[in-house]
Amino acid sequence: MGSWGFIGLAYGAAAVALVGYFVFLRGRLREAGEELRALTREGGRTKR
Amino acid sequence: MSAPSRPSRILRGLAGLVLAVGLTLGLAVVPPDAVQGEVQRIMYLHVPSILTAYLAFTVTFVTSLLYLWKRDLRFDAVAVSSAEIGVVLTGITLVTGSIWGKSTWGVWWTWDARLTLTAILFTIYVGYLMMRAFAEDPPAAARYGAVLAILGFLDIPLNHMAVQWWRTLHQPSSMLRPGGPSVDPVLLLPLLVNLLGLILLYSHLLLERMRLERLRTEAMALRLTRGRRG
Repeated sequence: MGSWGFIGLAYGAAAVALVGYFVFLRGRLREAGEELRALTREGGRTKR
Repeated sequence: MSAPSRPSRILRGLAGLVLAVGLTLGLAVVPPDAVQGEVQRIMYLHVPSILTAYLAFTVTFVTSLLYLWKRDLRFDAVAVSSAEIGVVLTGITLVTGSIWGKSTWGVWWTWDARLTLTAILFTIYVGYLMMRAFAEDPPAAARYGAVLAILGFLDIPLNHMAVQWWRTLHQPSSMLRPGGPSVDPVLLLPLLVNLLGLILLYSHLLLERMRLERLRTEAMALRLTRGRRG
């Protein structure tokens, strides 16, 4: 592998890690938000 | 789901802009290094990654101390959020360093003091995150986590000094050294721009990760309230 092959591999791996983490974090945020909304809705029904 | 806050969105935009400039400078504008050639361009990512990881673990260290002192779970939320991003950045440092090592030293890995201590740093904080993820008693997890985070932080000064205290294959520090950076100013520019870009990205991710902690805490509080009522 030439120099630019190593450079591409390094920057590619870093991009995959950062984008992967970003997507993973967004997924967890969406799940936590949905769970909170569901709990709030159920709480509202219980009060009535 | 609440949307990212305005400061968080601004930080994300700025990070993207600054990193785009830094990567263009590092990959296309500055000349190759006189000794290492083109492959030295990996350093424009490798060095800012570890410096930002150090920043992330320093935030975890300080907020863990504050948690043990004040027993306020908001400090713990910052600590665990920052540690998670620090682990991602340390992982990037290890991988990019390994790729650079293969091209320059001819090996993917060697048990050099700097490399080994960086791997230990990564392992300590992965352990910290696993402990936090599987713990069933949040206050106890926060307490033990804070102690582990503080002890784990001791690896950073040791790691930084490793290249001076021991004979290592890894070159001496070129950025955080007495007398200032030893890198040529032309080659230093993309390094500093990417460092700024990664710090901005870290700040955005930290705000988002703390938002996740907040949502989880609110959900847990609702579950507990309903459990008491039921």
